[in-house]
Amino acid sequence: MRVKTKRILFVYSMLVFLFFYIPMIVLMIFSFNDSKLGTVWTGFTFDWYFKLIHDEQIINALKNSIIVTMITTLIASILGTLAALAIHRYKFFGKQVVNFLFYIPVVIPDIVVGVALLAIYGWLHVTLGVPTVIPGHVVITTSYVMLVVVARLYGFDSSLEEAAKDLGANSWQTFWKVTFPLIFPGVLAGALMAFTISLDEFVIAFFNTGPGSGTLPVLIYSMVRKGVSPEINALSTIMIFFIVIMVLVVGKRMTQTKK
Amino acid sequence: MVQLENVTKQFGNYKAVNELNLNVRAGEFLTLLGPSGCGKTTTLRMIAGFEKPTSGSVKIGEKKVDHVEPYKREANTVFQSYALFPHMTVSENVAFGLKMKKINKQEIAERVKQALKMVQLESYGDRSVKQLSGGQQQRIAIARAIVNNPKVLLLDEPLGALDLKLRKQMQMELKRLQKSLGITFIYVTHDQEEALTMSDRIVVMNEGEIEQTGRPNEIYEKPKTRFVANFIGETNIFKGVVDNLNGNYASLKVAGQHVLIPKSSNLKEAEEVYISVRPENAKISDQQQDNLFVLTGEFKEKVYIGTTTKIVVELNGGMEMIVHESNGKMDGVKKGNPISVSWEPADSVILR
Repeated sequence: MRVKTKRILFVYSMLVFLFFYIPMIVLMIFSFNDSKLGTVWTGFTFDWYFKLIHDEQIINALKNSIIVTMITTLIASILGTLAALAIHRYKFFGKQVVNFLFYIPVVIPDIVVGVALLAIYGWLHVTLGVPTVIPGHVVITTSYVMLVVVARLYGFDSSLEEAAKDLGANSWQTFWKVTFPLIFPGVLAGALMAFTISLDEFVIAFFNTGPGSGTLPVLIYSMVRKGVSPEINALSTIMIFFIVIMVLVVGKRMTQTKK
Repeated sequence: MVQLENVTKQFGNYKAVNELNLNVRAGEFLTLLGPSGCGKTTTLRMIAGFEKPTSGSVKIGEKKVDHVEPYKREANTVFQSYALFPHMTVSENVAFGLKMKKINKQEIAERVKQALKMVQLESYGDRSVKQLSGGQQQRIAIARAIVNNPKVLLLDEPLGALDLKLRKQMQMELKRLQKSLGITFIYVTHDQEEALTMSDRIVVMNEGEIEQTGRPNEIYEKPKTRFVANFIGETNIFKGVVDNLNGNYASLKVAGQHVLIPKSSNLKEAEEVYISVRPENAKISDQQQDNLFVLTGEFKEKVYIGTTTKIVVELNGGMEMIVHESNGKMDGVKKGNPISVSWEPADSVILR
């Protein structure tokens, strides 16, 4: 490549990354800002972080978010993996249709799921709370897990399963000793996607939570309406770090299993 | 040891295996030989239990196994793709079968060590299977199967992915292993040379049916059908009409010329038969030799193939024939020169 082309590509790439990350970097910097206004830098402080951990409302919302996200991830991972195995392994009537149905939650607007779920709860007289968010999240995340695991299964050598059975493993042992360890990186990737989607999902959570049971994104939304406080910047910074660390850990784990 | 009775396997409308009867003796090396799609792998998979016969029954030992799952059969398989578990080490792969049988750890370690020794990879136990070469993976696949002391070892084209030299070496090793272990081997291949070198008996299959069963020399020297003659080694097949049964030999009219063939009891006058003549049995004949019969033709081309030279003769009457001659014999002979060919009547094998 010519030196000039190389230089242009470098500058171009830098601009793209700046476009991606400048807002986040600004947000992180202002989480340490002494000023309450958040637009002018007046001095360095950890105050907002201290305030944050003593804010009961935020801690409560965080707790709700963790509950919703954990349960959603667990259910979506199990359902998605089972669905992927069924789609991969068996030929059955209407398989194409079933396969297609799994793509719908990926493309459907969250607001449709949120409103539809709310309508059902109303019809069934279900009181809204933390648990009522979970079904909506499971609906949108299961498909992601399923699609990722199907991709992992594609190219899976079925003679490995036959070999296990040939060597005396029954179907249950074959699954846990051979199939699952081999598709595990796919399941993990799917679970990670489900986790991040559920954690920052706003629309469904907004429509389907009761008073005092909002998840973190819902709470942040209500706080922002009163103006962006540096406390939210601090909270966002913590979330960014948390997600980045998790992706790094899981990513490392995945490359290790692939080796 | 393994018996198949009227076994048929149908995939939709396609009959992969048709009314197959086969009796595999204890301790023998039996090869299922045939082109791809002849049903040999399907047959093997039915013995292993991965496919259920549409009709008929399979016996291993004295036991009918039609409703026995693969993991309860006393047969182990060496897969074409090796199917080694990539997430386990070499030792863990070999130990898998024993672990499933809940054998105690000490005995497992001992038997794994022995099995690895048998395939000459005793120092490779802790390696990942991905670090092994194709030939080494092949050996591990064999060790993983024989460590279970199966009654029958099923091998599905196990050497297909290896290069020629390694394949030859592994053929010898497999044969040696089979002799020393005394396990019954059922071996599937499409490579006729491999089948001839290794087997005690060969079963030649075509389109889901058995064409011929016999020892390697029987299959090669006395093929019963045109398919077998053609599939095993190089041969010349001629179609002719029996026109004289009065002499010591029967006379066959092939494209206007006469060929003498052995007088088998069931030949009838005016009957149409096929004969097979191996290229190495036919000779380019000189006028001086007193041959029982001679076919005339023209020299077409020659190909040097190492130990001999392959000569293509265009026989008068339009048939082509291949003859293997010693190198140098046809030096100076040009395309179109008249030559004649002959062979011993006993070298003609009558096919139906």
